[in-house]
Amino acid sequence: MQEPQFEFMREFLLQQSGLVVEESKMYLLRTRLQLLVREHGLADLNALADKIKVQRNGELANQVVDAMTTNETLFFRDQYPFDALRDVMLPECTANNGSAIRIWSAASSTGQEAYSIAMTVAEALPGAAKRVHIVGTDISEQALQKAASGKYSQIEVQRGMPARLLIKYFEQDGNNWSLKPEICNMVKFKGANLVSPGLAADMRANGPFDIVFCRNVLIYFAVDARLEVIDNLARCMREGGFLVTGAAEIPRGQHSEWKSVPVGNRNLWRLVKKP
Amino acid sequence: MFGKVMVVDDARVVRVSLGRIMKSLDFEVLKCEDGQQALDTLREHPDVKLVMLDWNMPVMNGYDFLVSIREMDEHKQQPMVIMVTTEASIPSMMKALAAGADEYVMKPFDIEMIKSKLDLLGVAYQQ
Ligand SMILES: C[S@@+](CC[C@H](N)C(=O)[O-])C[C@H]1O[C@@H](n2cnc3c(N)ncnc32)[C@H](O)[C@@H]1O
Ligand SMILES: [Mg+2]
Repeated sequence: MQEPQFEFMREFLLQQSGLVVEESKMYLLRTRLQLLVREHGLADLNALADKIKVQRNGELANQVVDAMTTNETLFFRDQYPFDALRDVMLPECTANNGSAIRIWSAASSTGQEAYSIAMTVAEALPGAAKRVHIVGTDISEQALQKAASGKYSQIEVQRGMPARLLIKYFEQDGNNWSLKPEICNMVKFKGANLVSPGLAADMRANGPFDIVFCRNVLIYFAVDARLEVIDNLARCMREGGFLVTGAAEIPRGQHSEWKSVPVGNRNLWRLVKKP
Repeated sequence: MFGKVMVVDDARVVRVSLGRIMKSLDFEVLKCEDGQQALDTLREHPDVKLVMLDWNMPVMNGYDFLVSIREMDEHKQQPMVIMVTTEASIPSMMKALAAGADEYVMKPFDIEMIKSKLDLLGVAYQQ
């Protein structure tokens, strides 16, 4: 791949999705985009870059972003966020009367995080599930489609999922497992780009959120982009709302709007002042 | 070392591959070919803390082994049991859990699946 095309692709990915590709990592483009180049009958990566240059928002551009981002996820990933949801966040949110509780899985990938939230809610608040509205969003159309189907392979349902919950909330058809409607119906999915300035407007109809999970996505972004995203998330939340990120995703330092709340040996963020 | 694990399966390939996974997670591995051997081994090594248990085996199957250890003296330290089996149906999972299995793996398995089940049970291993 030639230098100008590589530079263009780096800039394109950063603008379009927040993804940082380091200068030394040209091979990442090569390994992840080779298939697209072939599928579209293009000569090479340079041709792909040139094509996107003239159509930054087309189908091909989306496919490039999709191929470059990691969709890897699993049910109940890291466990502690879901324990904290049950033990800290939900009790806090249910304390104030019978109003709706809005939860957002931002960067939901193929849905495991959003559905793990739904199962946690169903376990913790049986009967109250109707009060809880969960929305999952992602930049990847393909991931969203799979998420909305609620269908998973035998391998996927065995990563992170306790057997007890698999029995309770899934239906089996050979090697295919589908979430029961009682869980599926708790979650809606839609497209949203975390680095888009229109994010708050796009999410207005679903918010303001009491709880936001934004995990294992900021890690791919540059530090200032991460700060911009959490600022954007704050605009979609209510004051006092909770934000769950991955372990090292928010740079340490002063965040006047956020308070760090220790839970076990991890921490959650709490929005103390709405921007 | 994170303690003793029994790998119980009549298929040699499974004893080898699952044994290798458990060793890589730094467990001491004891291998058995059926439920009866597993009962004898457990008697000799009461400090076994985890059993990776196949269901279908000659002599004594995994389910009967599970039932018989769960009937033993309740003051005795009980090992945790993860079923690792081709019995991939909700009714068999329910039956095993009701008999005292702690977790359930439907074959084929891989190391990520095994690690995630250990995480669920709070069993420490070499990361
Ligand atoms: C590794 S997955 C994380 C899934 C889940 N949150 C978890 O922790 O397991 C990262 C997801 O972020 C999505 N993503 C990447 N950039 C994004 C952006 N700018 N806006 C929204 N989603 C994005 C990717 O499509 C991918 O599905
Ligand atoms: Mg067998």
